[in-house]
Amino acid sequence: MTTYRLQVNGKPHAVDTDPDTPLLYVLRNDLALNGAKFGCGLGQCGSCTVIMDGKPVMSCLVPVSAVGTRAVRTVEALGDARMPGVLQQAFIDEQAAQCGYCIAGMIMQASALLEKNTAPTDAQIRAHMSPNLCRCGTHMRILRAVRRAADRLAAGGKR
Amino acid sequence: MDRARRKRHTGWWLLLAAAIVMAGIAFGIMWRPAVAPQTAIPSFDQARIGRGANLARLGMCASCHTADLARPFAGGKPMETPFGTVHSTNITPDAATGIGAWSPEAFARAMREGVSRDGHLLYPAFPYNHYVRMTQADVDDLYAYFMTRPPIHAPARANDMTFPFGFRPLVGFWNVLYLDDAPWRPDPGRSAEWNRGAYLADAVAHCAACHTPRTRLGGPDLERQLDGGEAEGWYAPALNRNSPSPLPWTRAQLHAYLRTGVAEDHAAAGGPMQDVAVHLAQAMDADVAALAAWTHSHLRQAPARATPAQRDGSLPRPAADDPDLPRMRLGYALYADSCARCHDVGRAPSSGTALPLQKAIALYDPDPRSLIHIVDTGILPPDGEPGRWMPGFKAILSDDQAGALAAYLRRYGAGQPAWPDLDEQVSKARAP
Repeated sequence: MTTYRLQVNGKPHAVDTDPDTPLLYVLRNDLALNGAKFGCGLGQCGSCTVIMDGKPVMSCLVPVSAVGTRAVRTVEALGDARMPGVLQQAFIDEQAAQCGYCIAGMIMQASALLEKNTAPTDAQIRAHMSPNLCRCGTHMRILRAVRRAADRLAAGGKR
Repeated sequence: MDRARRKRHTGWWLLLAAAIVMAGIAFGIMWRPAVAPQTAIPSFDQARIGRGANLARLGMCASCHTADLARPFAGGKPMETPFGTVHSTNITPDAATGIGAWSPEAFARAMREGVSRDGHLLYPAFPYNHYVRMTQADVDDLYAYFMTRPPIHAPARANDMTFPFGFRPLVGFWNVLYLDDAPWRPDPGRSAEWNRGAYLADAVAHCAACHTPRTRLGGPDLERQLDGGEAEGWYAPALNRNSPSPLPWTRAQLHAYLRTGVAEDHAAAGGPMQDVAVHLAQAMDADVAALAAWTHSHLRQAPARATPAQRDGSLPRPAADDPDLPRMRLGYALYADSCARCHDVGRAPSSGTALPLQKAIALYDPDPRSLIHIVDTGILPPDGEPGRWMPGFKAILSDDQAGALAAYLRRYGAGQPAWPDLDEQVSKARAP
């Protein structure tokens, strides 16, 4: 057991755990941030995507010992059911979820894009979202939701 | 005194004559006339077009000449070279911006001599030093194929060359050194299949363009044929006795690799080699088998080596007396926590199966470039193609972590001496 000091969603946390614990387990089991999901555990599906140091990462592949001082953000940082963020609202508006298991990862993957590029082309959205899989097949709605969020932000909407 | 003056005059005259001769030779090397434009595109029979299509795939023309899949052969793809950035050109039959005005003679001259229809010299990023040995029949079939593609209006993008390479006539001197127009000759001691493979590899698929090292002048180092080169910042492995492969290749594995980019127990193609496999997957299977036969005849010269690849199992923990213990421990931890989930043994072949890392050729390369590329960006199938998918770790691993992982894999995965320039290569690959 080692104590790790993590910056998650703007708050400091101290977690006692083994160095080989994946960041995903720490987020879910120790910090009760259950947005990110365990899908494949192999970095193949993207349902565990969070943002680390401004970049999207699959948190199942990140040993907690590798995080260091890098700031981590999860879908909980964007808003909640009462006050959804722009991306979350766009996913609701497009009804872009079926079972919903992949959606937290999808939204964080999309958020990483929109933070860097406020006016992405459809091709850029497709390329950026390509690591994330949805087994229900709502990819087309997901792409529309990201487009909608991008357009709303471009029109001056708040994140 | 008169005699002395006459002598001096003779000297001047000789110098002038020499200068004129030199200028004449330089002019002959650097200048080519235009070929008259054709006003109509001839018609071709279907068989020729089909043979041309196969040759275009074997030659991987689209690899450079297609920048956007929606606009095939319209050019515009940038290629970094040590002499500047060259953009591929439009080879659709558009009369104004493509090669629609090119007669068969103009096309053949470009393929064999690297000269555009209007007479300007093409940069050798276009591998005419290979196509020069293509048979006339094959050049004609390729012409038939390109002349029957949909014409696309796409003006050439300006190149960005470093001084003085923007002056194209200088390429003439490169041609004197590296353009060998001796026709290709079969080796009567070899099988027809091997000879077909040898011809395709040299004159069409131009394997040596990446797998042979280049001289400082950007030409092939002919003393070191197939001795390993470079492609888009990746190490292109030696295909001769110096092959870094830890296990001997069979012909069947090579055939599968060339057609699918994946060979069990050996490799999943990354970087520019993925594109090669995409093109060869669409070529005639007998031709790809011939390429595999030819490649195998070179690769089999590599001596059998005792390598960790012969053994199965997980990679070991670092030895307690390792002189670089803290770094190796970090590398091992990252291997165990991030890589081993897929790269460890015991997983039956499936979409998630990955190569046990002691078998990964990139660990045995003479430099770490390909390994760093794979760790950072993963293995992504080419646009629109199915294939193995490995996530990239650039956002996950810091420079120190990536360096420690590569150092650990080199020592405990491949059992090879450390790469001396590893840290430098990691920061170079990750420079913004």
